[in-house]
Amino acid sequence: MNDGTVNKSRRRFLIGSTSLVSAAGAVGAAVPFVGSWQPSAKALAAGAPITIDIGRLNPGELLGPMPAWRGQPIFVMRRDETTLESLRSNLDHLADPQSENANQQPAYAQNEFRSRKPELMILVGICTHLGCSPQLFAQVQPQDFDPEWKGGFFCPCHGSMFDLAGRVFRGVPAPSNLRVPPHYYVNDNVIVIGLDAENS
Amino acid sequence: MASSSENNTEVGGLLGWINARLPVTQAFEKHMSKYYAPKNFNVWYIFGVLSMLVLANQILTGIWLTMNYNPSAEGAFASVEYIMRDVDYGWILRYMHSTGASAFFIVVYLHMFRGLMYGSYQKPRELIWIFGMAIYLALMAEGFMGYVLPWGQMSYWGANVIVSLFGAIPVIGQDLMTWIQGDFLISGATLNRFFALHVIALPLVLVLLVVLHILALHEVGSNNPDGIEIKKNKDANGIPLDGIPFHPYYTTHDLLGVVVFLFVFCFVLFFMPEMGGYFLEYANFEIANNLKTPEHIAPVWYFTPFYSMLRAVTYPLFGVDAKVWGALTMALAIAILFVVPWLDRSPVKSMRYKGWYSRIGLLLFVVCFIILGVLGTMIATGPRTALAQLCTVYYFVFFLAMPWYTRKETTTTPPARVTGRFISIPQLLLALALIAGLTWLPLKAVGAEATAELEPFTVNLEDKAGLQSGAATFINYCMGCHGARYSRYQRVATDLGIPEKLMEDYLIFNPATSIGDLMESALPEEQAKNWFGIAPPDLTLVARARSPEWLYGYLKGFYLDPSRPFGVNNTVFNNVGMPNILGSLQGDQVCDDASCAHLNMVEGSGTLSEAEFDKVVTDLVNFLTYLGEPARLHRETIGGYVLFFLAFLFVFAYMLNREYWKDVH
Repeated sequence: MNDGTVNKSRRRFLIGSTSLVSAAGAVGAAVPFVGSWQPSAKALAAGAPITIDIGRLNPGELLGPMPAWRGQPIFVMRRDETTLESLRSNLDHLADPQSENANQQPAYAQNEFRSRKPELMILVGICTHLGCSPQLFAQVQPQDFDPEWKGGFFCPCHGSMFDLAGRVFRGVPAPSNLRVPPHYYVNDNVIVIGLDAENS
Repeated sequence: MASSSENNTEVGGLLGWINARLPVTQAFEKHMSKYYAPKNFNVWYIFGVLSMLVLANQILTGIWLTMNYNPSAEGAFASVEYIMRDVDYGWILRYMHSTGASAFFIVVYLHMFRGLMYGSYQKPRELIWIFGMAIYLALMAEGFMGYVLPWGQMSYWGANVIVSLFGAIPVIGQDLMTWIQGDFLISGATLNRFFALHVIALPLVLVLLVVLHILALHEVGSNNPDGIEIKKNKDANGIPLDGIPFHPYYTTHDLLGVVVFLFVFCFVLFFMPEMGGYFLEYANFEIANNLKTPEHIAPVWYFTPFYSMLRAVTYPLFGVDAKVWGALTMALAIAILFVVPWLDRSPVKSMRYKGWYSRIGLLLFVVCFIILGVLGTMIATGPRTALAQLCTVYYFVFFLAMPWYTRKETTTTPPARVTGRFISIPQLLLALALIAGLTWLPLKAVGAEATAELEPFTVNLEDKAGLQSGAATFINYCMGCHGARYSRYQRVATDLGIPEKLMEDYLIFNPATSIGDLMESALPEEQAKNWFGIAPPDLTLVARARSPEWLYGYLKGFYLDPSRPFGVNNTVFNNVGMPNILGSLQGDQVCDDASCAHLNMVEGSGTLSEAEFDKVVTDLVNFLTYLGEPARLHRETIGGYVLFFLAFLFVFAYMLNREYWKDVH
C-alpha cells in the first residue's frame, strides 16, 4: 500500500497541526453553548437597579416590604446612636472588623459602619456561607445562640452571626462580611440599589 | 489510540487495565482501524458520516434549545423569539437546529440515492437498508413534530393537515385524530405531547436505529460503487485486497468532506438561514391562529414530494373517498421503499453494470421526485395536478416494475476487483443537465407562479441614523395600536446607538415601563378588538413574515375609498382594516381607474413632500427589518469569520488526506 516509505514526521506534523486547528474550531463552536448560559436580556432587565423610599423607616427596623434586587433580599435599617456606639466598640469577636475584604463592599462603604451614611445600613441579605437569608435579632439580649448578643443577624441554616453592620463573627461557618450592594442616594429618602453614583 | 492497532491485547497501563474490563481497543479495531472498507469509495460515500454529524448537531443544539423553550400554546412562539433575541447566542443555536433539520434531510436523501444507485440494499445488506428506511421514517416524524414547536402559522396548519391524514382512516379516523390531538383541535395539549416525542422519544429511537444500522453495516461490510464484494479477494492474512482500514484512511477522507460540508452549512446558517423561505417558512413568523389559514400553505420542503402525491389523488375509487386514497398513496410511497431489496432481481448491484432500463428508470425517478417536491411547494392548479399525477404513477411504476425490468435488461459483468472513476466529468455533467432539463421543462409547461409585482426595496441596516428615525416613527405612529412584544427597548437602544437616557425620556411614554421591558402596545388588546374588530397584529416579526418589499408597498399604497370603514383602501393589502396612519404626512392618494394600477396624489394634502415621505417609509421599513431579526446585524460578520476559519482548516484537512492517500492505488 505505502511501500514502506512513510514519512512519519510529516504525518505526525500534519496530524498535530490539523488536530490543533480542529481543537480551536471546537472551542469556537463551544462559545454559543457556553455563552447561552449567561443571564439573558430578560434576566438582566429583571435584575435592573431598584429605587427604594426610606422616608418612613423607623430606627431599629428593617425596611419592609423587603426590597429585592436581582431577586435577593436587601436589608435596609436605620441605626440609632446606641447601635453605632456598640458597633464601634465590639470588635473582638469579629473576623474582619475593618472590612478589609474589598469584594464585600464598594470602596465608599469600606469604613467603620460599612455605609455611605453612618445611620443607614444597606446590605444584601444573603449569608456568605451557603446563601440562606439571615434573620434580624435587633434587641440587645441573651439569645440561645449567643448569651452576649448585642443585636445583629443570625443565619438559621448553619448558625452564622453578623453584627448590625453585616460584619461576620469569628468562629462561624460564614467566611466573610455580608455584601453591601452598589447604591447611591438620590435624596435623603430615595436610594437606588444596584448602581453607584460613581458609575451611573 | 492509533498505535493500539499494532499490539492488540498486550497494551499495558491504563488502557490495558480498561481493556481487561471493557473491550475498548477491540471495539476501536473492529469498527475503525481494522474495519476494511473498499478503497474505491467516491463522494457519494460521505453522506453517511454527514448524517451522523448532523444528528449530533441536532441533539446538542436541541438540548440547548429546550433550556429556554416553553412548550405551551401561550408561550411557545414567544419563547422562540426569546431565544432569538434575549438569550446570548440563542439565534446561532436556533439556526444551527433549523438549518440542521433541512441539512439532515438533504444528506439523507443523497445517502438513499447512493443506495439506490449502487444497489447497497441487495443481499446481504437488506437489514441495513431496512434500518435505514426506519431511520428515514423516524426522521420524518421527528421533523414534523419539531416543526410544530415554534407554534407559528405553518406549524399549526401543517400539523393540522398531517394529523387530519389520520382522519382519513375509515371508521376510527375521527376518534383517532381527537386522541392524537388530545383535544378537538391542534392545541396546547398536542404541542406538549409533540414536544415530549420530539425531544425524548424519537431521538432515542433514532440513535438506537443508527447504532443498529452501523452494526449491521460493519457485520457485512460496506458496498462500493462497483457493487462487488471485496471480501471475495483476500490476502494471506485474510485482509481484503481492495479494502483499506477505515482509520486512518477514511477518517482523514471524511474529515475533508466534513469541512466542505460545514462550509456550505455555515454559509446557509449565517447568510441565508431562511433559505428563501424553504428552511424557515415566512408564514411561520406569524403566531399560530386556529381561525385563519395562511393564504399559501405548504409543508417544509422535505415533505413536499409526498404532499404532492397526497394532493394528486383526486378521484374516489371503489366507493372510497379520494381523501382516503390520497393518504394511502402517501403511506404506500414510503412503505414501498422498505421492500426495494426484494424488488430488485438484478444479478448485479451497481448501476455501473446494470442495463439501460434501470439507469433510465432511476434517472426518471429522480426527475419525478424533484418535480413532485417542487410542485408540493406551489398552489395546486389543473395542469400541475396532472403533472403530479403523472409523476406519482411513475414513482410507483419504477418500483413495482423493478422485478421485471431488472431481470429483463442486459447487464454487464462486473470486474473481479474494484475500479476507479466510472463515468467521466462530461458524462456526469450531461446526466446532471439531463435531470435539470427534464425537471425544469414539465414544471415550466404547467406554469410558473404568478405573484403580485412589488416594487423592489433594498434593505439598509448600516444607516444607523435612518434606523433611529425609523424607530422613532415606529414608536410614535405604530405603537399606539401595535406592539413589538418580543423586542426590548434596551436592545433597540443598544443596537441602534440611541442613548438609553434619550430612549427613556422621549420614546418610552408609559412611566411604569422601564428600558429593559418588552415593547408592548399602548392599546390593551381587549379595547383594540372593540375598536377594530380584531386586535392589531404584533409587528416585531412583520418584516420577516411579509417581506420588506411588501411593507414598503403597503405603507405607500393607501388610497381614498369611501366604501371602507376608515375611508381608505390599499393596493397591496386589499380591504385592510387599518386607517392610513401616515396619511397626514403623505397626503391623500386616489385611484386612476378601477384596477388601481396607478395612484395619484391630491396636491397639497400632505405635510411632507414625496421624497420626504419616501424617506420616512424607507427608514420605517429598514427599522422593521432590523426589528424582525436584530441578530442580523452581527450574523454575517460572525459568519465571515467562521467561513474563513473553515477555509483555513480545509488546507490542513486537505494536506492530511493527501498524505495518507497519495500511495493508495
